[in-house]
Amino acid sequence: MIGWIVLGVLVLVVVMVVAAYNRLIELRNRYKNAFSQIDVQLKRRYDLIPNLVETAKGYLKHERQTLEAVIVARNQASTAAQRAAAAPGEPSAMRDLAGAEVALGGALGRMFALAEAYPDLKSNTTMNQLSEELASTENKVAFARQAYNDAVMAYNTGREVFPVSILAGATGFTEARLFELERAVEREVVKVSFA
Amino acid sequence: MDFFEEQHRARQRTGWLIVLFSLAVCGTVIAVYAAVKIAVQSAWDVPLDQWSGKFWDGALFWTVAAYTVALIAAASLYKIRAVSASAESVVLGLGGRPLDPNARDPYERRLLNVVEEMAIASGVPVPAVYVLPEEPGINAFAVGLDVSRSAIAVTDGCLKLLSRDELQGVVAHEFSHLLNGDSRINLRLLGLVHGILVIGLLGSMVLRSFGRSDDSGRRSKTSGGGLGGAIIFVGASLYVIGSVGVFFTRLIKAAVSRQRELLADASGVQFTRNPAGLAGALKKIGGLDRGSRLLAARAEEASHFYFSEGMGRFTALMSTHPPLAERIRFLDPAFQGEMPATMHSPVALEEEVPGVAAAVPGARGIAAQPRTVIASVGALTDQHIDYAQSLLARIPQRLRDSIREPWVARAVVLALLLDANPETRAAQLKALLALGDPQLADHVSRASAALRTAPAEARLPILDLALPALRRLSSAQYGELRAAVDRLIRADSRIGLFEYTLQCVLLRHLAAHFEPKRPEPAGGPQIEVVGALSVLLSMLAHAGATDPAEAARAFEAARAQLSGDRFFPALLPREKLDLRALDRALGRLRDTAPRLRGQILGACVAAVATDGKVTIAEGELLRAVSDSLGCPMPPLLPGQHIGEELAAPTARAG
Repeated sequence: MIGWIVLGVLVLVVVMVVAAYNRLIELRNRYKNAFSQIDVQLKRRYDLIPNLVETAKGYLKHERQTLEAVIVARNQASTAAQRAAAAPGEPSAMRDLAGAEVALGGALGRMFALAEAYPDLKSNTTMNQLSEELASTENKVAFARQAYNDAVMAYNTGREVFPVSILAGATGFTEARLFELERAVEREVVKVSFA
Repeated sequence: MDFFEEQHRARQRTGWLIVLFSLAVCGTVIAVYAAVKIAVQSAWDVPLDQWSGKFWDGALFWTVAAYTVALIAAASLYKIRAVSASAESVVLGLGGRPLDPNARDPYERRLLNVVEEMAIASGVPVPAVYVLPEEPGINAFAVGLDVSRSAIAVTDGCLKLLSRDELQGVVAHEFSHLLNGDSRINLRLLGLVHGILVIGLLGSMVLRSFGRSDDSGRRSKTSGGGLGGAIIFVGASLYVIGSVGVFFTRLIKAAVSRQRELLADASGVQFTRNPAGLAGALKKIGGLDRGSRLLAARAEEASHFYFSEGMGRFTALMSTHPPLAERIRFLDPAFQGEMPATMHSPVALEEEVPGVAAAVPGARGIAAQPRTVIASVGALTDQHIDYAQSLLARIPQRLRDSIREPWVARAVVLALLLDANPETRAAQLKALLALGDPQLADHVSRASAALRTAPAEARLPILDLALPALRRLSSAQYGELRAAVDRLIRADSRIGLFEYTLQCVLLRHLAAHFEPKRPEPAGGPQIEVVGALSVLLSMLAHAGATDPAEAARAFEAARAQLSGDRFFPALLPREKLDLRALDRALGRLRDTAPRLRGQILGACVAAVATDGKVTIAEGELLRAVSDSLGCPMPPLLPGQHIGEELAAPTARAG
């Protein structure tokens, strides 16, 4: 009789472990999926920036350095994004991406600040369209980022809860990192508008 | 095919499955008991000839039975829960990749368009679409417990090697599975097989852990006896019993699955009116060297979901799908059995031409009679698909593309709720501002401007298009969306019918995804079916009527659709009706038997159509009611006016 009870408990434990493991996989899939949403928007943004710079070039002839800085920052961010997409949530990749994004935001901010001084550029239709599209893509990135961070938070909480944390540690469910930008810079970019 | 009959039969079939499975469990229990009894006897060295008459041991039997049943039940429930938790996890487990909503790849675009057309045509939310990029064979599957939480996945081969007609055939086949609720049956079967499987697993576990450690011990003892030998015997028996049980339950599962596949083929053809498309897809599978075989390690788990056999099988009895040649002959009687070799290079693509917008006349008079509408639930025709194509064509491409993104989809859904009246609108936008996100109100009013470029009858389809994107919100974002919807609806202190309709559809489908374990809607005691019917039909009768006499006529027409004297709903005065009551009524009616729901829907159509015209608003309400009752209704086709037929509803009943 006792043997049966032990067996029953054993089976129960196995079932619970399997359930916890599957749950972890699902949570991980969810945040990875959420990252692919960010990735889509980031790519679109990286495609927009060269066009933007190309348009601005004609007007900002004496500001080559600023424009080049934007392109350099864009290329770095694009590389960082590729790395992050290969391993979403991986701490160093996410930190690099966040850093590169902040740098890109800063460079763009400086470019738009300069553009304020050029009325011709401000009234250029292509430029207006592009910056409008850029702003809307920023919003989408921010929204997707929020979804990703929610998913990462759920995953991290899920893997830290007591009995699961043992399993998570043993099976390589490492902590995922949030994708956070420093808010000051982010705001600056979003606010850009030519009206 | 009658959706309600089909649902009714599905329930009966499930009943049979339970009987068959109970038999399997009984057999298993008896077998396990026998094994344990023999082991116990031999462990105590009782000679064989003294056993007779003492084989029955009540206490031992009940203990064994309790443990066995508990084990099977736990394993089944666990499996069913694990798979039904989300369609997503099944697809991701097979290596699926969600289709990028901004896909520029023409093949992916084409698939997305075909799925969207089919969803709008059948009146269900657009399912999530996945591709299995690592799979070169031609196969596809649909998973999901209900239409709110479903996903369609196709292999890379299916995406690229099939022509548009063939792809449409495959997608139609998968939609038929979704609409017929096959996934639900499949899921139960999967759970049951797993329950028995666990017995065998337990056996092999016992064998492995005791077999080795006991090896040395056994030699020192006299042969055949001892506790160790008994345990090994029980383990081996459990293993054999489990294997035999799994074999039989798989047979049952495969037999059921083969039936469902033929039905899905038939419905697929009915949907597209193009047997050549589906037959062509099957022939290409036959002509492809790897056919429909899947490579993923976990492919077996979802084998019964596939479009075509996903695994290599030894015997026809274990196949989850009928043989290819048989399926093709079923669609194309002239088929000789020769499969032309399939090219490995992707098909050339024609440009995706938006449907011809001009083909649809102004949608004012909509054909609607109870019979035809009931027949259309859960089924669709090529006309519906044409209609869906042209409707989609009239939604500006920009809106259609951007609505696949969560951020835009959210704003568009909220914009659908904005009132036409500028004052109310201002109040609504102010209510949004109060939510704390200063940008949201701005985005919503911009989305609203974009919406004005789409035709009015596209409002519900737009919502259907937005649902896949909305499912990708995080739970926190979903919570915010719900709060915003709530604010908008309450801002004008009365809830209009369209607002109600939208809220119904939106929350029903999203709640299924985000809150799988939804508590019963709070709101008073359970109501009787008759009371619920009175509320629902009265509401509809009043909705289209200008004076009480007309409402009474509409109500009478509706009541005439209910057969027998079982239900005598009464017309309630307009003042007594509110949307909360309607909500409760729909919640009650959703749980009724499928056949009754068919009649109820017929009565609803009669109530709405009795005055000879169905406005867009009435059509939308009708579809929302149908949706709330769990019956996906294709859009009502515009253009044909309802004639004398409706003036004499009783004549049709005979």
